[in-house]
Amino acid sequence: MNEHDLVSLLVVCQLAAPAATLALVGVPTLLGQPPSERSTSRIVGGGFATAFIAGLLTLAVLASRDFRPEIVHLGSWFSVGHHEATIELVADALSVPYVCFSAGLCGLVNAFASKYLHREPGFTRFFLLLAVFGTGMNLMVLAGSIDVLFAGWELLGISSTLLIGFYLERGNAVRAALRAFATYRVCDVGLLAAAVMVHRAVGSGDFNRLFGENWPHGTCLVPAATATIVSLLLVFAAMGKSAQVPFSGWLPQAMEGPTPSSAIFYGALSIHAGAYVLLRCEALLEQAPLARLALIVIGLGTALHANVVGRVQTDLKSMLAYASMTQAGLIFAEIGFGWRVIPLVHVISHAILRSLQILRSPSALHDRHELEAALGGHPGADRWALGRLLPEALQARIYRIALDRGFEEMVVGRLFVVPFLWLIERAATLERRWLALLGGDPGPGGGRS
Amino acid sequence: MTETSQAALLAAAAITVAAPLAGSAATALGFRRGKPRRFAAAVAAVSLLSSLVITAIWSQSDGTAVGFGDRLGGGRFVYIDGITAVLLPYVALIEMSILLVAPRRALGQSAVTRILFGAATTLALFLTSHPILLIVLWCATALSTWVSVRSTPGGMAAARVFAIAMTAATACMAVGTMLLLVDPPWSAAAGWVGATGGWLVAIAVMIRKGIFPFHSWYPSLFSGATMSTALAATMPQVASYTAVRLLIGHTDHPEGVAAELVVLSQMALVTATYGAALSIVQRDLRSLIGTLAMSQSAMVLAGLAGTLPMELNGAFCVWISSGLSLTGIGLVSWALESRAGPIRLDTPQGRFWDAPALAGFFLLFGLAGIGLPGTLSFVADDLIVSGSLDEQLHAGLLVILSTVLAGIAMMRGWFHVFGGPVDPNGTRHAILLRERVAMTVLLATLFLLGIWPGPLVRALDRATGRLLGVSAESTGEHAADGADSSEDLQLFSPER
Repeated sequence: MNEHDLVSLLVVCQLAAPAATLALVGVPTLLGQPPSERSTSRIVGGGFATAFIAGLLTLAVLASRDFRPEIVHLGSWFSVGHHEATIELVADALSVPYVCFSAGLCGLVNAFASKYLHREPGFTRFFLLLAVFGTGMNLMVLAGSIDVLFAGWELLGISSTLLIGFYLERGNAVRAALRAFATYRVCDVGLLAAAVMVHRAVGSGDFNRLFGENWPHGTCLVPAATATIVSLLLVFAAMGKSAQVPFSGWLPQAMEGPTPSSAIFYGALSIHAGAYVLLRCEALLEQAPLARLALIVIGLGTALHANVVGRVQTDLKSMLAYASMTQAGLIFAEIGFGWRVIPLVHVISHAILRSLQILRSPSALHDRHELEAALGGHPGADRWALGRLLPEALQARIYRIALDRGFEEMVVGRLFVVPFLWLIERAATLERRWLALLGGDPGPGGGRS
Repeated sequence: MTETSQAALLAAAAITVAAPLAGSAATALGFRRGKPRRFAAAVAAVSLLSSLVITAIWSQSDGTAVGFGDRLGGGRFVYIDGITAVLLPYVALIEMSILLVAPRRALGQSAVTRILFGAATTLALFLTSHPILLIVLWCATALSTWVSVRSTPGGMAAARVFAIAMTAATACMAVGTMLLLVDPPWSAAAGWVGATGGWLVAIAVMIRKGIFPFHSWYPSLFSGATMSTALAATMPQVASYTAVRLLIGHTDHPEGVAAELVVLSQMALVTATYGAALSIVQRDLRSLIGTLAMSQSAMVLAGLAGTLPMELNGAFCVWISSGLSLTGIGLVSWALESRAGPIRLDTPQGRFWDAPALAGFFLLFGLAGIGLPGTLSFVADDLIVSGSLDEQLHAGLLVILSTVLAGIAMMRGWFHVFGGPVDPNGTRHAILLRERVAMTVLLATLFLLGIWPGPLVRALDRATGRLLGVSAESTGEHAADGADSSEDLQLFSPER
């Protein structure tokens, strides 16, 4: 077996292991014979462990050859005329460390959740969704073509939505899940359109036709205009998944899901999916100053917004959500500044810290009591030193804005959501009246058996 | 294709139609009165297997269309090409699933007779290109649906709306087809008669497919009829097939119906978006399925009326993926309704813990209809979006908007049916084996075609290339004899 075959096998392992666990748990569940709690967590955990080990081995092979990238071509998925969707994966200095990191984190959360969700009615559902997420994440990270990346991206969105609405009996969870899904869906338009643009520009979705393979020193292979359009579309797509203003309202609400999934999704991996995609396409951004400027403005704007709003939150998970948003905004700005390794390090370090904080959040009161006992009293209120330099009237106004979450939801709601819903409600009412006129009886709920 | 293969194709086609037709007659005469489901499902299974035989034989052939019987206006009594070979098992699978999942009280002797008769006429329609036979079967399928809706308790309003729509559609289709036969618009010397015929057929297709502004019967049917009737009437998409046979693929003088196709395409795009938007605010589950079905059906027509093979290929993939997934959702909701009554969507209904297995199937069917990677809809969306954007920017944007809205509506539907406070006194409903089998087969088909779409997409690529008379190079096919065989598909061609 030569080096290429070995890397190919390991890369396929990283992808196939979590996908196989999905089938191993999902198919019996669908057939009415779900595995036991212990088997479920072991199977899913085993998949992540396998992906992690395969990732480490790939990393070792790549390190031994100075991180020269390896393209793994698994064939054509389907093709119509000149439109071909290929299954192409890439093992390089960006994807392989990221897979190790994500598989490792998923494995840890798997271990945590097997205890945390013990005897929870939706135990199997949680682990199935975790496996979907792991598969989607690895698919997205290892993607060597925009089609594969889009497939992984969609799996992330769906698993995220279903985990936000995990506690189906809670009205807030259902609302939060729908809101997150609607945001994802709207922003996914960017990635879908970018995929079509890429196909039109280079005849396939393969990244190596868009830019050189050697991350982080790839060179753009398409004209600047194409690079700018594709980059702007990617930025739009990334804004939704990474909760950037004005698409950030869903993130605090997303904490309705179980703590382990909040940790891995909104503290660690899903929130940085947008940043990962932008890092993957850094060579395009290099040729698209407009997109970089947009990233800086959006990123810094989000960081400022989330930082201010996060300070007035009265529950820990919301506060952590805004803290995640702040860091994601800074990472966006870093990518916009043209840095490559710094945002990657920032992503990984922030993800580790934040997921730990979220996993510990259910024990926050206990931690606080321990801290107070150790200090022998109240540790004292947080002081926003910089904020106190501002005039008091301005402080009060900022406080008011922060309480209203920067009016973001109100503006988006009043400008887009409410008029749209009003319009289609009116149309639906007219439809019902028209049907009543035609049929002589109100349509919905008329007959049936 | 060898003579033996042709004979086998003809035999399989005959069995595909004759089995449900004979089953219908036997049930009407009282055969197996006590257990009509088992008999009907067996008959449907025979029909499905023989349609699969057609697909298998076809996949081994050189792709030349095969016609048997009378030739009128270029059409044949029995006509089998790539499109038939792909769509026939799809229709048969839907019919069999309906029979397996239908609740016992909805499957009396007369209902089984009607379902099997409807299946036979629909399958026969998918096996012909003869214009007169198409009209006859078009009427038969509509009539069968109307009788079913009329016999549904409380279904009179829906039956009236359906009757108004179908009377208009059938009249337009009959007159339009006759005019096309008299003065084919694909002849360079065609006059106003042929042009009028083209427009009448286009209007008939619009009505039968529920294209705006003729769409009202679609959600009405889902609200007023039994689910079996609504699904059997809408999922096979009889009007799409008729449009393929009568309006699309006239390569010798394509501008003959170019204006009609442009109007069909634009109105279908509007309907796809409008239907998806409407589905977001529906207040009951049946209306949601109805509006989503309307949107997806329009999306199919938007693709079929396009001029690029990729659009047509995407349209056929949407046809199959949305049909199977909406059938699945319809069947799940029917199973749920039969246990717990009608389902509202105004507020979360909290049904998850009542029927967790049905919730799982609903979710998977829903996701399989909105582009879940690994299902056929992911491939379909990719093709139809790319094809539409290649042709016209606004078309691509409307297709994207429609898929976004349909996705949101689908997830809202799932969360509002299964989410929400749980009734502590609620009964837990187990899924029946026959329901599980039918739903698993539908799901497996969607996933199999999504994970391994190559054979389907290649078959459709070949069929659409021939339909549009596109050369081998532009479809990516090798050794195509598309120009010759596309001629086989042209109805009303002047030299005939």
